Amino acid sequence: MNVLSFLSFLILAITLLTMVFGVIAYFLYKAREKKKKGAKMTYEKALKSEGRDLLYFTKE
Amino acid sequence: MACGLWLTYYSVEHLQTIYITATNIFIRFGVILIFVFTILIIIRYLLLMFFSILQTIRRSADENFSIYKQDRVSIIVPCYNEEDVIIHSLKSIISQTYPNLEILVIDDGSKDRTYDLAKKFEFDDGQKRLRVISKRNAGKSQALNYGIAHAEGNLICCVDADSKLDKYAIELLVQHFQDPKIAAVAGSVNVVNTNSSLTKLQALEYIQGLNMVKNGQALLKLVNIIPGPLGMFRKDAIMEVGCYAHDTFAEDCDLTLSLIAKGYKIDFEPDAIAYTEAPENLLDLLKQRYRWTRGILQAIRKNRKYLWKFSKRPSLSFVMWYMLFESVFWPFMQVWGDIFMIYLAIASGASQLLLFWWIMFTVLDVAGAIYCLLLTKESLSLAPYSIIYRLFFITVINIAKIFATIEEWFGIDMNWGKLERKGRIE
Repeated sequence: MNVLSFLSFLILAITLLTMVFGVIAYFLYKAREKKKKGAKMTYEKALKSEGRDLLYFTKE
Repeated sequence: MACGLWLTYYSVEHLQTIYITATNIFIRFGVILIFVFTILIIIRYLLLMFFSILQTIRRSADENFSIYKQDRVSIIVPCYNEEDVIIHSLKSIISQTYPNLEILVIDDGSKDRTYDLAKKFEFDDGQKRLRVISKRNAGKSQALNYGIAHAEGNLICCVDADSKLDKYAIELLVQHFQDPKIAAVAGSVNVVNTNSSLTKLQALEYIQGLNMVKNGQALLKLVNIIPGPLGMFRKDAIMEVGCYAHDTFAEDCDLTLSLIAKGYKIDFEPDAIAYTEAPENLLDLLKQRYRWTRGILQAIRKNRKYLWKFSKRPSLSFVMWYMLFESVFWPFMQVWGDIFMIYLAIASGASQLLLFWWIMFTVLDVAGAIYCLLLTKESLSLAPYSIIYRLFFITVINIAKIFATIEEWFGIDMNWGKLERKGRIE
């Protein structure tokens, strides 16, 4: 195997892996954002999900 | 550069051979696309570098530089939960050399100590004044507009709360407004936290983006985006176009397009520097680029009627097509080009083409990086990062841009998504 063929294979492999990595990273980002969004529970949301009045405390 | 041109010649010759020998229509079509794309990219590089060199020569030849200090400048600092960075940001603003200043800190309903920390800096010495105003949380564009409405100055400078200004920044920006056709001037943005490979890559990207792209655009006085960390506007012009819009995620880009549509000129001042924190992890970086891409596309869509009005608004049409090229066509073509090259390598064994194609772009990147680093007197140690930039960074970013474009096309919901700051600005 000469140097050019080796380098060509190397670039080919890196390009392929980077593209797969890029797609995975994007979906990881989307999953993180979805998780963050879901974590924000408001009183109105809690009320809707429970279907009854809720007692809650506020920190002074 | 000569090496880049030789590699281009080799790649084009290789593409020609593949085109002639290929019987598959998909391969022939792909070869034509790759050829057109390669030529466009090379023309873009050469033109931007040529314009940038001309602009640098013009700036250095301009000896009639008189200090202009008559206009009152209102600096608006919108902030939301910026307790880690607000002190350093305000200290840098207060220590500006420009004397005639009004500083308005607009606290956009922060839930942390931002308001209390900023309030301690309030002062009025007759010439310079700092006021902190608190309002209900309604987003950055609303906070900026609120500040503009309360501003006394005829020049408005918008500064991000997580940025630190160089002490001459305001003085240098003001000088451009001696030309009445100038409606806005973009400042230069430097990355302050170059503590990892990821932030060094972004630092290099900023240096190239500013000194090649923005400097080149400044020759035509058609800078397409006034960056959030530092930008100055003529108040009359900003009021004429209705201030910042609330319906896009790139309010700075939208405002710049509106000003160009009114026939104003937009300039760039490379020596007016704002230091800012770059995202330190990949997911935060993707979040930033996702928001930028969708914001730019929203701004273009809003002004889409001007895309084909070359005779009425040639400068605006040109700027919008350029932005579409940078934010949509280029990412799609780069990723598609890689996929096509991989397909060619597997299907026909033409794997050397991918190698030469990659080297050609890397040579262009390295040449551009060295030119920009020499121009800004930055350390040349950043230049080798161009190789990593081409090998990994740009592909990962472009994939996020493609997904952002697709999501924007289908109108999928998005939120602002504030980036967490590490407080590296000192």
